[in-house]
Amino acid sequence: MLKSTFLKAVAATALSFSTWASAQAVDLQFYFPVAVGGKAAETIQALTDEYVANHPDVKIDAVYAGSYQDTVAKAITASRGGNPPQLSVILSTDMFTLIDEDLIEPFDSYLSTEEDKKWLAGFYPAFMENSQTGGKTYGIPFQRSTPVLYWNKEAFEKAGLDPDTAPATWDEMVEFGKKLTVKDDSGNVTQWGVRIPSSGFPYWLFQGLAIENGAILANAEGNKTNFDDPKVVEALQYLVDLSVKDKVMAPGIIEWGSTPKAFFEGQTAMMWTSTGNLTNVRDNAPFKFGVAMLPEKAQRGAPTGGGNFYLFKGASAEQNKAAVEFVQWITAPEQSAKWTMATGYVAPRPETWDTETMKAYAADFPAVLVARDQLEFAKAELSTYQNQRVTGIFNDALAAAITGSKDPATALKEAQAQADGILAEYR
Amino acid sequence: MNATSFSYDRLLNTLGAWVLALMWALPLVYAVWTAFHPAAYEANFDLFAPLTLENFAKAWQAAPFARYFLNTVILVTMVLAGQFFLCTLAAYSFARFTFPGRNILFALVLLQLLVMPDILIVENYKTMRLLDLVDTIPAIALPYVASGFGIFLLRQTFMTIPRELDEAARIEGASPLGVLWKVYIPLAKPTYLAYGLISVSHHWNNFLWPLIVTNSVETRPVTVGLNIFSAIDSGVEWSVINAATLMTSGPLLIAFLLFQRQFVQSFMRAGIK
Repeated sequence: MLKSTFLKAVAATALSFSTWASAQAVDLQFYFPVAVGGKAAETIQALTDEYVANHPDVKIDAVYAGSYQDTVAKAITASRGGNPPQLSVILSTDMFTLIDEDLIEPFDSYLSTEEDKKWLAGFYPAFMENSQTGGKTYGIPFQRSTPVLYWNKEAFEKAGLDPDTAPATWDEMVEFGKKLTVKDDSGNVTQWGVRIPSSGFPYWLFQGLAIENGAILANAEGNKTNFDDPKVVEALQYLVDLSVKDKVMAPGIIEWGSTPKAFFEGQTAMMWTSTGNLTNVRDNAPFKFGVAMLPEKAQRGAPTGGGNFYLFKGASAEQNKAAVEFVQWITAPEQSAKWTMATGYVAPRPETWDTETMKAYAADFPAVLVARDQLEFAKAELSTYQNQRVTGIFNDALAAAITGSKDPATALKEAQAQADGILAEYR
Repeated sequence: MNATSFSYDRLLNTLGAWVLALMWALPLVYAVWTAFHPAAYEANFDLFAPLTLENFAKAWQAAPFARYFLNTVILVTMVLAGQFFLCTLAAYSFARFTFPGRNILFALVLLQLLVMPDILIVENYKTMRLLDLVDTIPAIALPYVASGFGIFLLRQTFMTIPRELDEAARIEGASPLGVLWKVYIPLAKPTYLAYGLISVSHHWNNFLWPLIVTNSVETRPVTVGLNIFSAIDSGVEWSVINAATLMTSGPLLIAFLLFQRQFVQSFMRAGIK
């Protein structure tokens, strides 16, 4: 009897203590994925700790949630299980999926003052394309990237090319590629001209080609794709021809993961890959290298990529307000500069590039500016409702054309028909 | 004639065994090779390449592996203990007692074998939240504790044990639980060993559920730590990833090699192939 009274007293004290604590501080949970090596997770943790140290009224629990795919699975499961995070970084292309699942809310209701609106307008428009729909803002750009062309200056010199000039057009890339493709005596290729990885998600780099040719793969409402546009077919034909006709790229599906390694070891003189690789290439390339925008056809172009902050439903107004304040802080110039330098992601706000830290960094390593300058020509990454299924269909079509089992026009036509079948109900 | 066909047969068998063994060992050999050499030798073989432990140091520092190891050990022990306890009692009652609804209940247990565990993730999450266990090691373990496979396997084993032994023990005055403890469990030892191995290796390697239901370093297993190396945006560092893989699968591999003979024997006796 005495014991149970005692226990009750303890429980009551604990309860009142915890309510007191929660009245004092807003608790936030924030999921983040890691898609680059190095110090990404530590940097996010350090930034969060710094914020919490300066804001005693907020408690933020930053939770590492695996890859992008794992993070979205975790966030959806937790939300359905009644325990959503207040904030999560998830692929910008998952926006329509998250809206469709009714899991996220727009930032707009928490960005009402003039100052807030000015802040929202301060992001690169290319990054906002994947973050807004129907006049509302669902994503705030954070770990964003874009593909660029890396080239081996020594290989260029050996091939008699100007080591400081990258190919500026599609034709030049083929022409340079032919000079850069080296065979040994028995006719085996020891160095390819260019390498455009196509395993897993070929759509991303292919989208670069499509945009350069003046095509847009999906509309801003996310309910219509243009896979069978003649310009898209032409772009795919160009990609296939790089291996089949021009023989400047290895045939078949090319691995993403081993692409930087192949570049370091001289198996290819040029590679297309994410700016997320910049730090890796800088640290590990045993030769001088250059970074350039993707070559143009009708125009320059590249897709954007990477993750946005999303605000999850189910939080109190107070929590959402605190979450938005945290997002504003972590995307502010000083923090954003630290993040960009640690990972190679493109700082999403022009003002970040005007900080002394970034200026000094760019002066020392001008290659980081290429991705930023390319943003002017960048378009939204392919994203639709039922995004996993639609991009899956598109990836399969690209893979079929790359491996030669279907010709580009047929593959893309079939993909368009399938995508139409899925997206019809969202129109 | 007979002798030559016999040796021919034997030759083929030996050859086949060697080919399979080599195919099995190749990834492991590659992992060991890259883990102990600098990154520059990932893709080119050089017998005299310098040896290094740097990859291990790098991998160890990338995540709090010491804590993760502890969590994994606690997790697999908890799962195994729970499974042994529940599955033994359930299997015993299915094998040796008649009660109303026994067949329906057993059919339900078998049904569990047909359901992909991944489908249940959201439901399991809801349950864990109801129990207020999210972000704890028991939350990772609980959904797996009442294993349909374990119940089925032990029931089949218990049913092969002669009833005479059971009756003899009862005549000696043993209670039902006493019979279980003194007769059934000792005779089913090979099955326990084989099932234990499968359970431990499965939960040692499980990734998605632990990732989803836990949030903090204090509760997460090694697989979640390992995942930090799959950095597709920036290219994969094979040497570090292989060092980390060896490190995390090492304890399991060593345990298997140590107890190899017992495992193989118990697998043969338990009939799991």
